[in-house]
Amino acid sequence: MAAIAGTGTGAEPATPLARRWVKLSGHHLGKGQILHSPSGAWHCGRGGGVMAAAVGMAALCRRLTAALRLSGARPGPTAAGLPGLTLNPLHKNLVKVEPVHQLKFLHTSLSRRGLEEFFDDPKNWGEKTVKSGDAWNIKQLRAKSSEDLHKLWYVLLKEKNMLLTLEQESKRQLKPMPSPERLEKVEKSMKNIDLVVKEREIALRLLQTGHEKPVPGEWRHDFLGRTYWYTYKEWPIPWYLNKKHKKRRFYYLRHVNHFIRLRLEKFLRRKARKQNLERTRRKVLERKFPHLAAKSQSQQ
Amino acid sequence: YPLFQLGGPQLRIFRPNFFMLAVRPGVPQPEDTVQFRVSMEMTKVDIKNYLEKIYDVPVAAVRTRIQYGANNKRNHKNQRVKKPDYKVAYVQLGQGQTFQFPNLFPEKEQDTETRAFDDFKDKYMEREKQRQKGDLRRGGVPDWFGL
Repeated sequence: MAAIAGTGTGAEPATPLARRWVKLSGHHLGKGQILHSPSGAWHCGRGGGVMAAAVGMAALCRRLTAALRLSGARPGPTAAGLPGLTLNPLHKNLVKVEPVHQLKFLHTSLSRRGLEEFFDDPKNWGEKTVKSGDAWNIKQLRAKSSEDLHKLWYVLLKEKNMLLTLEQESKRQLKPMPSPERLEKVEKSMKNIDLVVKEREIALRLLQTGHEKPVPGEWRHDFLGRTYWYTYKEWPIPWYLNKKHKKRRFYYLRHVNHFIRLRLEKFLRRKARKQNLERTRRKVLERKFPHLAAKSQSQQ
Repeated sequence: YPLFQLGGPQLRIFRPNFFMLAVRPGVPQPEDTVQFRVSMEMTKVDIKNYLEKIYDVPVAAVRTRIQYGANNKRNHKNQRVKKPDYKVAYVQLGQGQTFQFPNLFPEKEQDTETRAFDDFKDKYMEREKQRQKGDLRRGGVPDWFGL
């Protein structure tokens, strides 16, 4: 299967650990919305595949529809005969997966099954509001395995595409878009998934190599005296042959010290002003509500 | 993204963040052509792989163009406001499939609540217009005059 065949190219040292780690956390699958994947389908949270590296997403779709056929389709979102991968991405709304044998919910014709996923359930067309659950929290996502996060990412991506399509069409038809808050929820969930995956990658990298960042770098000065983290980039030629790069100055001259001091003063002044403001606000509150003063004193 | 040089490994992106939305074509397109707005960094090959792998749609050909968003509208400060640029992709489906952009806002029958509200709204607007016109018994003169 494509998923197994294409393990990440440059990641040979990483995969054994990744696989082991992912398998351990593999069994608690979602709160019912991500169907129990057929075992062994996804060895690692990552796989090969070109740009849209959904690692044989077609294969995944097929396997999930197979799972659906086996374990019975879910009522509700799949009712209108939408393709197998209609996992409701916003989870609170969801019904638990019950082994109901309702095969009529499966859309078996191959005609426009893929492109239908750019649009919502046909029942929701023309509605004023569409109900949706809450966005995914970071804490909830940390409890999921990498396979689940990977699948959830694509589910959310498709949902986002669908919502963007709806938004554009509503602008075209000069009608209000039903429930635009879904877009924000989806974007927040995707950002949270990204954060969780980054955390896990950093942890793995620290364990394996001892480095936190994926790309090495160093602290450098710029010609204005500021200090910043310079990440090394890949170049086809060395820096001493790069005329434009040689014009960049990674040092500053003596006359810049005056401006560094001014900048420092400005920063300190801002910080002091913010602290004073906070203190005065707290004093005002304590004067109005004396119980707060008593509580802060007891805390101290 | 890492630099690519001849003989190097294929770039693989896990969890791509590229959006793609289907749009209704402004100019009538042939039956098998679907029009998308895609993110600016996507290439024709990218779009083909995206649709084939994530949406399981057979793609025969992709053509792209970048639509320039105009910069000649002005805001209340007389600053120019730019409409964002976007990339349009015309995707021709394979295996003889066809696609018609659906009507996402069909007329739905209103329930009693909305109907009652609409009636109330119409009656209110009528009353306002009548007040503007003035009393017919006094010859259409507005209420400003007289007692």
